[in-house]
Amino acid sequence: MFNKRYVNPWTVILAILSLVGLGAWVYQLANGLIATGMRNVVSWGLYITLFMFFVGLSAGGLIVSSSATVFNIKQFKPVAKPAVLLSSTCIIVATLLIFVDLGRPDRFLNLVFHPQFNSPLIWDVIVIGIYLVTSLVYLYSMTREEPNLKNIKVLSAIALPVAILVHSVTAWIFGLQIARPTWHSALMAPLFVASALDSGLALLLLVLIGLNQFTSFKVDKKLISTLGGLLAVFIAVDVYFVFSEILTALYPGEEQLMGYLTLMLSGSLAPFFWGEIILGAVVPFLILVVPKNRLKSSLMLLASGLVVVGVLFKRIWLLFSSLLLPLIGLAPGVTLGAYQMPETFGQAATPGIWATVGSYAPTWVELAIVVGVCAFGALIFTVGTYFFLTPVQTAEALPKQGGAVSAT
Amino acid sequence: MTKKYGMVIDLKRCIGCHTCEIACKLENDVPMGMYWNRILTEGGKYMDAPKGEYPNVQRGYLPLACQHCENAPCVKVCPVAATYKSEDGRVLINYERCIGCRYCMAACPYNVRVFNWQEPVRIPDFDYGSADTPKRKRGIVEKCSFCEQRVNKGMQPFCVEVCPARARHFGDLNDPSSEVAQLVRTRKGEQLLEDRGTKPQVYYVR
Repeated sequence: MFNKRYVNPWTVILAILSLVGLGAWVYQLANGLIATGMRNVVSWGLYITLFMFFVGLSAGGLIVSSSATVFNIKQFKPVAKPAVLLSSTCIIVATLLIFVDLGRPDRFLNLVFHPQFNSPLIWDVIVIGIYLVTSLVYLYSMTREEPNLKNIKVLSAIALPVAILVHSVTAWIFGLQIARPTWHSALMAPLFVASALDSGLALLLLVLIGLNQFTSFKVDKKLISTLGGLLAVFIAVDVYFVFSEILTALYPGEEQLMGYLTLMLSGSLAPFFWGEIILGAVVPFLILVVPKNRLKSSLMLLASGLVVVGVLFKRIWLLFSSLLLPLIGLAPGVTLGAYQMPETFGQAATPGIWATVGSYAPTWVELAIVVGVCAFGALIFTVGTYFFLTPVQTAEALPKQGGAVSAT
Repeated sequence: MTKKYGMVIDLKRCIGCHTCEIACKLENDVPMGMYWNRILTEGGKYMDAPKGEYPNVQRGYLPLACQHCENAPCVKVCPVAATYKSEDGRVLINYERCIGCRYCMAACPYNVRVFNWQEPVRIPDFDYGSADTPKRKRGIVEKCSFCEQRVNKGMQPFCVEVCPARARHFGDLNDPSSEVAQLVRTRKGEQLLEDRGTKPQVYYVR
C-alpha cells in the first residue's frame, strides 16, 4: 500500500505540521486547559468554533454530492467522489476538535458506556458515527472497480438526510439552550444547514480547482461554473436566514437581548459579523451572479475562499455572542477559575479572578493544535486523493481523462 | 412524599459580609481562583458600590450559588449523566464520570459552574476541606452541592450554619410545615431568572 508517490514536499509539510499540533496537544495535556485562552465566562473557544465550522464544511459537500444521485442530476456526478472524500475528512477533523476540547480526554469512552440520551451532544455522537460510516462505505462503493449502482443509490439516499441531520443536531447543541439568548432560536438548525451548504460547496470548489491544477483528476470547467451558480443561491439563502434572525431579535428592542446584539453589530464581534456579511456574502455573491465570472478560475477561487472565511466568521460571532455576557452580570462577577500563585507574598494581593464580562483570545497552544488538526485533515485528504481519485494505473494510462473515467 | 431540598435566602437580612462565601470555600475544599458561592452586589459597577445617586442610595446583595433547579438545563445536557438530579432534589455531580466537555457551563443561566482549568491551587497548600468532601481533580466541572457531605448526615449546609445574620435557611420544600416552605409561602419567595423556566429551588425573600 505504501508508495513513494505519497512522499512529496506537500505531504511532508503537512506531516510536520500535524506533529507540531500533536506536540502542542501533549503540552496541553501536561498543563491542563489553562494552556488555552478559555476561562469560566467564555468556557468554549476556538476548538468548538472550528468544530461547528468543520461539521458544516463536511455536511455541505455531502449534501451536494448525494443529491446528485438521489435526484439523478447527472452533471454533478463526477464531483461525487472528491465531495465524499472531503466530507469524510472534515468530519474526522471535527471529531478531533471535540476530543482536544475535553478536560478529561481519557474518559471519552464514558460517552459510549454512560450515554445520557437527553443530551444533544450524545445525539451528535450518534449521528456523526452513522455519518462517518455512511460516508466511508459510500466512498468505498464508488471507488470499486465495478461500482454497484444500486448500492450507491441506496447509500446516497441515506447519506443525504444524515448529512442534513448531522448539521441540524450540531445546531441544536446551541439552539436548545434557554440560558443563551443569541443561541436559543428555532432558526438555528436551518441557519446552520444553509451555511453548511454554502461553506461546504465553496470548499468543494476550492478543492476541485486545486485538483484540476495539481493532479490528473480533472473536472469540467462548465461543471464548476454550474456549481458556482448554485453557490450564489446558497449564499442568498444563508443571508436571508441571518437577516430574519437578527431582525426578529432587534425589533422588540428588549433590553437584555439588545446587549448581546450590540456586541455583534457594533461591539467586539462586529468585525466578524460585518466581515461575514460583506466579505463572506455580498462580495462573493456579486462575483458569482455574473455567469462570465464563473468561468475564470481565479475569480472562482476568490469567491469560494471568501465564502469559506465568511462562514468561519459567522461561527465566531455565533458562539461568542452568547458566551461573553453572563445573564446575571452583577459586580464583582464570575470567578474565572485560574490562579497564579504570587511570587512573593503581598504581590498581587487581589489577583484578577473576577469578570463581569467575558473575554477570549486563543493562545499559541490552541492555534498550534488547531493548525495541526487541520494539517492532519489535509494529509488524510491528500493521501485519499492519491488512493481514490488518481490511482497509479489510471493516472499513468489515462492521464487526461482520470476524472471522467472514474466518475460514477 | 419525596424530599425536595431547597434554600431560602433573606435579602433583607444579608449584610454582605462574605462569611458564607469563605466558609463554603473551606468546607468544600474549593481551590484558589474560584468560588462556588459568590456574594454579588446589587448596585453599582463594583463590589459594595451602592445603587442610585447620592443622596438617594441603597445597598443590597445577592448571594449566588447553584440554584438546584427542578428543571435543570445542566442535567439535561450532560452527555454522560455526570451531573444528575438526586432523589431528594439536589443537583449533584459524579466527579469520577465528568469528561470535562463543559456543556453544562454553557447551559447554566446562572454561571455558577466552575471548571478546573489547572491543577487545583490551594493556600495553604493542603486539602483544607472537610475530610469527606468529594475530591476533584483537574479537567472537570464543580459547583455547590448543598454541602452533600453534611446534608447526607442530616446536617445543614455550612453557609446556612455560619451566616451571622441568619439570612439563610435550608430544608424540605415539599414539607409544608418546614421553615423554608413557610418562608416561601408567607414572604413570597422569588426565583432568579424565573422567565427561563428552570424552577430554581433556591428562593430569595425581601
